[in-house]
Amino acid sequence: MSATMLTFESNDGVQITIARDVAERSVLIKNMLEDLGDTVEAIPIPNVNEAVLRKVIEWCEHHKGDPPSTGDDDDSRRKTTDIDEWDQKFMQVDQEMLFEIILAANYLDIKGLLDVGCKTVANMIKGKSPEEIRKTFNIQNDFTPEEEDQIRRENEWAEDR
Amino acid sequence: MENARREDDMIIPSQSSLQSIFGGPAEVVDYSNDADSDNYQHEPHSPPDLKATSATLGDQSVAPFLARHVPEQYGALGPQNKGLMELSGADSRYCYRHRPDRKCRRQADEPTMDKLQRELETLPQSDQQGIAHVWSLFSAAPAKHRKLLLQGIMAQCCFPQLSFISATVRDLIRIDFIAALPPEISFKILCYLDTTSLCKAAQVSRRWRALADDDVVWHRMCEQHIHRKCKKCGWGLPLLDRKRLRESKREIELRATNWDISGPSAGTPDTCNADTDAAAVVPANPANPAKRKPDSSEEQFTLVKRHCSSLAPAPGLGNDDAYFKTRYRPWKEVYKDRFKVGTNWKYGRCSIKVFKGHTNGVMCLQFEDNILATGSYDATIKIWDTETGQELRTLRGHESGIRCLQFDDTKLISGSMDRTVKVWNWRTGECISTYTGHRGGIIGLHFDATILASASVDKTVKIWNFEDKSTCLLRGHTDWVNAVRVDSTSRTVFSASDDCTVRLWDLDSKTCIRTFHGHVGQVQQVIPLPREFEFEEHDAECENDNVSTISGDIEPASLQATLGLESNSVMSQSSPFGPAFADGRPAPPRYIVTSALDSTIRLWETSTGRCLRTFFGHLEGVWALAADTLRIVSGAEDRMVKIWDPRTGKCERTFTGHSGPVTCMGLGDSRFATGSEDCEVRMYSFQS
Repeated sequence: MSATMLTFESNDGVQITIARDVAERSVLIKNMLEDLGDTVEAIPIPNVNEAVLRKVIEWCEHHKGDPPSTGDDDDSRRKTTDIDEWDQKFMQVDQEMLFEIILAANYLDIKGLLDVGCKTVANMIKGKSPEEIRKTFNIQNDFTPEEEDQIRRENEWAEDR
Repeated sequence: MENARREDDMIIPSQSSLQSIFGGPAEVVDYSNDADSDNYQHEPHSPPDLKATSATLGDQSVAPFLARHVPEQYGALGPQNKGLMELSGADSRYCYRHRPDRKCRRQADEPTMDKLQRELETLPQSDQQGIAHVWSLFSAAPAKHRKLLLQGIMAQCCFPQLSFISATVRDLIRIDFIAALPPEISFKILCYLDTTSLCKAAQVSRRWRALADDDVVWHRMCEQHIHRKCKKCGWGLPLLDRKRLRESKREIELRATNWDISGPSAGTPDTCNADTDAAAVVPANPANPAKRKPDSSEEQFTLVKRHCSSLAPAPGLGNDDAYFKTRYRPWKEVYKDRFKVGTNWKYGRCSIKVFKGHTNGVMCLQFEDNILATGSYDATIKIWDTETGQELRTLRGHESGIRCLQFDDTKLISGSMDRTVKVWNWRTGECISTYTGHRGGIIGLHFDATILASASVDKTVKIWNFEDKSTCLLRGHTDWVNAVRVDSTSRTVFSASDDCTVRLWDLDSKTCIRTFHGHVGQVQQVIPLPREFEFEEHDAECENDNVSTISGDIEPASLQATLGLESNSVMSQSSPFGPAFADGRPAPPRYIVTSALDSTIRLWETSTGRCLRTFFGHLEGVWALAADTLRIVSGAEDRMVKIWDPRTGKCERTFTGHSGPVTCMGLGDSRFATGSEDCEVRMYSFQS
């Protein structure tokens, strides 16, 4: 008999109880539960704080019915950065939260969420000039003007004209 | 006195001004490692220049606050505290994201700090003290206290102030994802980018460049063009690259997981490129300097090669073959070359070579690598070198005009109006054998594996089996048969005829299994599209006037399918091509394109016999046709050559130049060739 509810503890010490099938969207947790068997103790999630953990759980709740990911890199064909509407709304967060969600999805091994997070960042880069990209992510241009010019020329071929 | 102090403040360097206004090093200060933060604990928290300001207030309440929190966090000497630090992994004074061992940290923004400083100085002395006091408190507070402080402040804010916070915060939270995330995730993000964005990303910073130029990303980009040629950039990968792509897949995966900035960034920007070469040759450890040595020579080799190819106006694939076998190039280079070809096609940038020598109309041609073979009404076949434009030799023996030919590595087969088929050794010019069997001129031929099909003025198609030397005749057309195409996989043949129809024949039963009606002129060409060609149903035009019929004794289910009346249960059981294809026999190619003297080109779905699209644009009959998954090219009586997008039906470009009708054409990855009644052959190369 396996527990239907599980409790997790974020790194800032907040306990959250969720349904097992929701938690098992995370491959890390799924594998851990298989190894540990039933547990009544709160499972610590050391790398994720409460706000992020709640956000991740929200995603898992919404996607609990999704077919399990096929694992293999079947997405080599699907290069598209299309994101479904719910996920798009879900990802309308500040960059800090987005960053944390990506790290958490990676740590907890939630492929679908990691994909959406990465696509969201990709969409923030797409169609921008190098200067616009720097502005978007607050990046210092550490090239010398000569280097910058040379690299621009190296990449000119990709301008579609 | 006060004035003098202020002047002091004005001239202090900005770094210490950062400290002064917050009464201690601000959070923005970069802690690159633990050693740094150890140093920091010995620094005074109130720099000397601020002492005057915070002396009165600060000593009363700030100092105890600081004393309580700061030594607690940084008192690494106390064994109890040390244990605590190890448990929590880092100091808790800072929000855990700004721990020194994390890469994500906010950069010091000096202009903003200067502005703050100046604004502060416009206030009366006492106000300055008060504000500095609050800042000092906040600065010294541990994460939990900071959160409380912020909550308290925000609770008192009115909406305009909250709006100010929200706007400012949006601007402040900007994270360099690509640099801050683990490389594996950064690669994943970059792999979602299109070509242009990826090349822009490489220009952002050194770190971005190292990642965005890496073979991990470009290997993936190339890989995506194996399965399906990209509709947007319009190129496919040459075979040798495909092989290399598969072979290096594992190495690339390893590279993505073990990627370390110390490899690529260690070099100067100039050698960064060479580092990306490493994936192909040095899979294990890109950071190992000893192993990197060969790469620089490889880079040089690439440069030499590039130089060479720019000297040769139209480098053929043959040249590159040897090159790929011996040396590898970074995947971005491979991608770049093909991308350039793609855009050259798109914008019609090409070099043109004209081959002159035939004394009558050129009726057929084929090219592979640097060899071009042409057949003419002057009864000769000529072999040309496409690189040099030179005529290599002339094959003589036919007594009348040559209407069709095909060659492979070992042989060339030609069909002539003299009613014979001849097999040649095209390398020597020797005629190996001559076959008779048609009662009229031979105007079309095609071989695939061991099957040769010939189409004739005598209205029949003859099948010649090289293996068992058997032959057979396919009868059914009611006028000249102009073109044939063998598909040995499905053991079927397509034929196009002056009777305005196209037929599909089953080579096992020697019967016609489908007839395609729709053209209103003599059909000159039929070309099956490669099996990987994909056509989306919603692209199709609604055309119900072109319903094909099925000859012979085909069961009703298939007939219904032809008419678009899919009768569910029966359909799911049997093949639309009849019972002979029901038990796992490969189906014929799914799509064909045809051209006719009604000035149109048509795209058909073979399983239903539906005409999916008609291409209008030629002014007179379309004699010549060639196609691959990306494009259809056609040549017509109107002397024009047109390039079409098979999916949208759009004519992308029109070429003129021949002074007579265009009668034949060939299509390759990066070029096409046309033959004309004006006795000339023109080759258009889109190689850059």
